[in-house]
Amino acid sequence: MKEGGLQRLALPLTGLLLAMVLVASLAVGDMALSSARLWAGLTKTDEMAAIILWKIRLPRTLVAMEIGAALAASGVIMQAYFRNSLASPGLLGVSAGGSAGAVVAIGMGWAAVSFYVLPVTAIIGALVATVAVIGLAQRGASTERLLLAGVALNALLGAVTSYVLSNFTLSYERNAQIIFWLLGGLEDRTWDHVWMAMPVLICAALLWPLGRSLDLLSLGAADAQSLGVDVKTVRRRMLGLATIMTALATAVAGTVGFVGLVVPHMFRLMFGPEHKRLVPLSLIGGAAFVLICDLIGRSAGGLRLGIVTSVVGGPFFLWMLRRQV
Amino acid sequence: MNALELNDVAVPGRLEKLSVAVEAGKLVGLIGPNGSGKSTMLSIAAGLLDGGGTVKWGGRRLMDLAIMERGRLAAWVPQEVQFAFGFTVRAVVGQGRFAHGDDGTGVEEALARLDLTTLADRPVNRLSGGECQRVMLARALATQPRLHFWDEPLAALDVRHGLEVLMLARELTRNGATMLMSLHDLRIAHCLDQVLMLDRGRLAGVGTPDEVLTEARLRDVFGVKMRIAPGMILELPSP
Repeated sequence: MKEGGLQRLALPLTGLLLAMVLVASLAVGDMALSSARLWAGLTKTDEMAAIILWKIRLPRTLVAMEIGAALAASGVIMQAYFRNSLASPGLLGVSAGGSAGAVVAIGMGWAAVSFYVLPVTAIIGALVATVAVIGLAQRGASTERLLLAGVALNALLGAVTSYVLSNFTLSYERNAQIIFWLLGGLEDRTWDHVWMAMPVLICAALLWPLGRSLDLLSLGAADAQSLGVDVKTVRRRMLGLATIMTALATAVAGTVGFVGLVVPHMFRLMFGPEHKRLVPLSLIGGAAFVLICDLIGRSAGGLRLGIVTSVVGGPFFLWMLRRQV
Repeated sequence: MNALELNDVAVPGRLEKLSVAVEAGKLVGLIGPNGSGKSTMLSIAAGLLDGGGTVKWGGRRLMDLAIMERGRLAAWVPQEVQFAFGFTVRAVVGQGRFAHGDDGTGVEEALARLDLTTLADRPVNRLSGGECQRVMLARALATQPRLHFWDEPLAALDVRHGLEVLMLARELTRNGATMLMSLHDLRIAHCLDQVLMLDRGRLAGVGTPDEVLTEARLRDVFGVKMRIAPGMILELPSP
């Protein structure tokens, strides 16, 4: 296949962008670090800089990258699965499923038992939502049907969250924890959160080789099968990966919307829809996008990540809807 | 050896149990009114729909063939296609080589053959219905399979492109490929080697066009009266 110069440069340019925002994310904050102090902190030769970096900024930055990659990749998968560029974990209710699972775990006090209860319940919640959305909106469903299915699921799962908040938790502390978590953010993220979201890397490695199959599947199942794609296996893998990645992102950072919608669409517009390029670009670009949103939030006096991504993503979504419908 | 065999395949409510065999190198037309089961039968033959019974390609049972091998042996052209994303025409035609390791062989030739070279870099979601149909046909051509399953390939094409596609079908079968294609236009049935006529999900006739397209059968199946009369004849100009 012929490939333009811009497309060949896409991956290195996105990698460069990620490297730049990564450095900015480590350097910018209440106490700005010069490049010399950044290096001294990373090598632990400057004690103060080392504490800031290793205790606060590195875990936060790494979690941001993990959830950005996870949510953007989930968006790519769902868009190929439903053959609709408006499909994304947030709009379809998969994130809300993960949230509901996690909220139940916090509200019931299970999350206090083990650190790993939260991701497991988030995965279960996201899985239930994925199965439900597949039932409600078939593949190739119209934009209207897909969005309505998402609206219904988001409302239903939102009701679960509200019910837990209003009836289950008698503890003020737990309620505050739930609300703080629901807003979606990267404050106080620790290395435990970095490790919790680490399976995202395995998912990304499993997703990478599926790129070509996603191209073919986005034309329809029969079409893909006739060309030699093992449709059942690929689809199962796609949904499994999208669900786990969304759930892990939700478990470590709460509800962060629109990443799965904005990032793949931007890259598709700039570099074309081929998934062998779009998958790695979305993984790397998703990480960069969330870091940028987090930097904006930090620079704006501590705006939470979920608010920033929604402010960026909401108008973008409306623009896409206007173009598509 | 038969290139294609269907034995006791059926889909409740859509296709009654039927068995047919197609010899290699034949251009076979599936003819019948709307809803007679043409697309269902074509999908079963192409291995895209489970119709029970057995389907054999070149004497080998379909279930014994790996999915990748099926992708090399046969090409499917759907009746209509909706492109959700803006892949280029060249990229979609190139997908026909997926089962061959995406080697790109014959893609440019397939584009040229279907008059798509000038559109090769255009996004497929901005093409007309007829252009989309030609893209799918070019993709099938790029696969270079032994079996072709084309579902109403001429439906969206203008006269010239329709005639070119018919010529292409003849050329492919002359070179040894076997083709099963559903059709609505009975006026081009004389181009076929064999006709399978379907009526309300059952096989109403099998044979050469002259044997199957009789006045009585057309009245029974389509409810029309056939009259052979001289009329407009369209042919492609000599190169």
